[in-house]
Amino acid sequence: MAMSMRRALLPLHRMRFSNLKNAEASLEVRYPQPFVVPVRTKKRYFIPPAVGIKGKAAVSADQEAKARAAGVVLRQEYMERAINIACTAGVFDPYIPPEGDARLSSLSKEGLKQRTEQIKQGAASQLAIRKIKEHDAEFTTKAFPVKAQEIFVDAHNALTQFNKEKLHSLVTERCYPEMVRGNRYKTLRWHFVESLEPPKVVHARCPDMVSKGNLYGQVTVRMHSRQTLAVYDRFGRLMMGSEEEPRDVLEYLVLERHLVNPYGMWRLHGKIVPAWAPVKEPIVKTVMIPGPELKPGEEFEELNYEVPKPKAVQWHK
Amino acid sequence: ELNMGYVFIGFTLLRNFAGQIRSRLFAFGKTQKLPCIHTSAALDVNKNWDRKNLHMFPPQQPDEARRPAEVHHCRRQIKYSKDKMWYLANMIRGMTIDEAIAQLEFNDKKGAKIMKEVLLEAQEMAVRNHNVEYKSNLYVAESFSNKGKYLKRIRYHGRGMFGIMDKVHCHYFVKLVEGLPPKAEQKTGFDQAKNYVEQLKSRTIIHAL
Repeated sequence: MAMSMRRALLPLHRMRFSNLKNAEASLEVRYPQPFVVPVRTKKRYFIPPAVGIKGKAAVSADQEAKARAAGVVLRQEYMERAINIACTAGVFDPYIPPEGDARLSSLSKEGLKQRTEQIKQGAASQLAIRKIKEHDAEFTTKAFPVKAQEIFVDAHNALTQFNKEKLHSLVTERCYPEMVRGNRYKTLRWHFVESLEPPKVVHARCPDMVSKGNLYGQVTVRMHSRQTLAVYDRFGRLMMGSEEEPRDVLEYLVLERHLVNPYGMWRLHGKIVPAWAPVKEPIVKTVMIPGPELKPGEEFEELNYEVPKPKAVQWHK
Repeated sequence: ELNMGYVFIGFTLLRNFAGQIRSRLFAFGKTQKLPCIHTSAALDVNKNWDRKNLHMFPPQQPDEARRPAEVHHCRRQIKYSKDKMWYLANMIRGMTIDEAIAQLEFNDKKGAKIMKEVLLEAQEMAVRNHNVEYKSNLYVAESFSNKGKYLKRIRYHGRGMFGIMDKVHCHYFVKLVEGLPPKAEQKTGFDQAKNYVEQLKSRTIIHAL
């Protein structure tokens, strides 16, 4: 009984001396402290930490009031962060490629008509090109498409190696997630075999964002080339395409540059997929598509059901 | 100083109180940067099992055998005992995923419902993210449970005695592999007898001349 009493009171003894480590102890004055003996309750040596946490949310509201009463002033914390916008959110006034492009040779009558239409290029494009030449002295309709093709090839090579820094310098922030999404744990093998026709500028626009004078230039380049693409999944199995078989690809690339910024660069902004584009090859694996909604009691009739096909609409990526 | 008024009274309890107020004021300045305290109970959990899903393999040659897809999934801090979970984990080890889900659906234990959710999540992940073609073409290659972080409470006994009560939690891990489960080799009685006789015949005397 006496031992347990002494053991119970040991922490109390220790507490008395530990508090004298405060600044007041330096004065070396000890006041006579009364000996408080807890008689009725038994000292609990182990209190789980979770017991003390109850009601902490209510306590914090009191703490705020106490701090203000004590005169502690906390400066307003502004949760702000400056963002730099270096590219537009989409393609403004997208180019609508004429139907049958790259299917008719220039020698036939329809082919000639197409060529003349293309050469005129539309008045708005000419205005836009003039505006671009004001800001960027080195822009020419003849030299630019070659540079655009180089940017395209470099960007896709960086995508296969997944070189983030190089990719960001060649591709705008809007295009980057579209190129990279879902590809992080996949291996891509892409090879640019050759260009079938010399690339050409087909369309140009100069939209200004938010405030007047904040000019961005968007130029569409038409490219007809031969490429190989093979996509392997995480385990090294072929998901799509093939490495040996090259395919002819007709693409409309949109490149963008922040004209007002003197350090701006022409970067890949997106692609335009025309409405008459041929259907893509299906992937290797079979995919389940959701079937029609059936009422209870109805049965699924396979013969009458047609798989819904997507609408042939132009979209830009 | 704020606390001078309290010191000259000189009682231990009031000194404690003063110390508490000071520490609370200090803490208040810092609490605004802390997010909600009760988001995740265990902050230093081993995340190796989830990282196994990020392991990439190089592309295979056309003549190599097709590598089966693997999906690792886990659930942490399940409010269930690890020993009770062990029985269920042992039951589904080696089954096809459809069989495992069916068995867990009609099992009366609490852990069975949670395990079934985990298996369905893993199946969904496999089809969507890991290029698994048929969702039924999976089997449970590894399935085990271990101890999570326990919360401690007081269990009051008579005569002022107490016990520390553990609120048990467990983690559950599962690995699904594409394909059919490997068949266990059936050893016949004749094979076992033959092995035994061969063992007896291959005995020698060591360190003999």
